[in-house]
Amino acid sequence: MSAPAPPEATGAADFVDRAERLAPTYATAGRVLAWSFRVGAGLLALGVLLTLVRGEPLGRELDPLGEILPSLRAGHAAGVVDLAILWLMASPVFAVVAVAAGFLRLGDRRYALLSLLVLAVLAASIGLALLR
Amino acid sequence: MRPNRVRYAGEITLEVLPRRPRLAVRAIRPQRVRCAAWGRALDIIQTVEIGAVAAVAAILGSMLGLGGGVFLVPIITLFFGIDPRIAVGASAVVVVTNSVVGSAGHLRSRFTNLRLAMILQVTTAVGAIVGALVGVNADPRVVYLVFGLVLLYAAASMALPRSDRAPALGADPLRLGAAFRDPATATDVAYVPKRIGLGLGISSGAGVLSGMLGVGGGVVMVPAMNLLMNVPVKAAVGTSTFMVGITSVATAFVFYANGLLDPTVVVPAVVGVFLGGQIGPRLTRRLRAQRLSLLFALILLYLGTSLVLRAFGVTLPGQQ
Repeated sequence: MSAPAPPEATGAADFVDRAERLAPTYATAGRVLAWSFRVGAGLLALGVLLTLVRGEPLGRELDPLGEILPSLRAGHAAGVVDLAILWLMASPVFAVVAVAAGFLRLGDRRYALLSLLVLAVLAASIGLALLR
Repeated sequence: MRPNRVRYAGEITLEVLPRRPRLAVRAIRPQRVRCAAWGRALDIIQTVEIGAVAAVAAILGSMLGLGGGVFLVPIITLFFGIDPRIAVGASAVVVVTNSVVGSAGHLRSRFTNLRLAMILQVTTAVGAIVGALVGVNADPRVVYLVFGLVLLYAAASMALPRSDRAPALGADPLRLGAAFRDPATATDVAYVPKRIGLGLGISSGAGVLSGMLGVGGGVVMVPAMNLLMNVPVKAAVGTSTFMVGITSVATAFVFYANGLLDPTVVVPAVVGVFLGGQIGPRLTRRLRAQRLSLLFALILLYLGTSLVLRAFGVTLPGQQ
C-alpha cells in the first residue's frame, strides 16, 4: 500500500521538508550515476588497453546489439569498447528508474507515472536501435 | 564452410567456396590498402588530435556552462572534415557522459529539481527523437545552418543577465516547489517554478535542437528556467545537467540505430571531454569572468559564422 500524499506546501520550511523527504531518492540516483560511470569508464579503459596491446583497430561503426555479445565471446577489443559506449549511453536510464522507484516509494503517483512515461520514450529510442 | 580467400592488391577479393565456386568482387576501404603500420600511425595521430580538441572544447564548454558539444561539433567538422552527422552522434555520447558525471554531484547537493526535470523531460525526449530523426536524414548544409544559428544565439546569450534575485513562492498546484542549501550563502533557497506551459514548449524545442545537433540543450534550458520560470541559477543548472543526459540518450540511440556512431571519434571525444571537464572549472576560478565572456562570445561568433557560411558552400581559410 502506498504512503499518503504529502500535504500542500505553503512556506519555505515546507519546501525544505519536501526536499528532505526526497533525500533517499537523490542519494540513490546519485549513487546509480556514479557507479554506472565507474563501470562504463572501466570498460572503456579495458577496451582501449586491449586495443593498444593487441594492435586491433577500432571499428568505424558501433556494432549492432546482436553482434556485440559474440564479439565479446571472441575476446575482441572492439566488442569491449562498443559495450562501454553503450553502457555509458544507457546510464541516465538507470537513474530515471531510480527516480521512478523513489517517487513510487513516496506515494507520489503523478511523478512516478511521469518518470515511467520518460522511460517509455527512451525505450522507443532504444527500440529503434534494437530493430537495426 | 570457410572460403579460401585471396586478396589482390586491395582491389578485389576472390572467394573460392568448395563445391559452389563463386567470384565476389568487393571494394576495400583505402586504409586497409595502406601499409598496416602507416595506417595505424595515422589513426593514432588523428585519435590524439580529436582527443585534444575535445579536451579544449570541454574546457571552453565547462567554463561557460554549455557542455562540450557546442564547441566539439563545429571544431571537428570545420577543421577535421568529419561528416557532421558522425560529429553530432559522437557529441550526443559525450553529452551523456558529461551529464552522468555532473549530475551525480548536483544530485548530492540537491540542486536538481527532480519533479521539474521529469515533467519537462517528457516533451524534451520526444523532441530529441524527432530532432535526431531529422538530423540523420538532413542535408549536412541544413545541419551547418541550424548549428551556426544556434552558436550565434549562444554568443548573443552571453550578454543575457542571470537572475540572482530571491525567487518568489506562491501557489504550487503541481507540487514542483523545492528547496536546496546554497553553500555560498549557507542558507536554504526555496522556490516554486512558474509558467510550466511555456517551459514545456521551450523544452520540446530544446529537445529538437538537441536531437538534431547533439548539443545538450542546456544553452536554451538554463536561461529559460532561470529567466522565465523563476528557478534559481544553481537549481536551473542542476536540473538542466540531469535533463540533458536523458535527452541525449534519446538522441544517441537514434544515431546508433542509423550506424552513425564511429568509435574512432566517440572514444577520443569522450576521454578528451572528460579530462577537459576536470580542468575547466579550475581555470574558471583563476580567470576574470568578464574577459572570459567576451573571449568566448568571439569564439562562438567565429564558429557560428563559419558554419553558416559553410551551409552556403563557403569555406574559410584553414578549414577543411
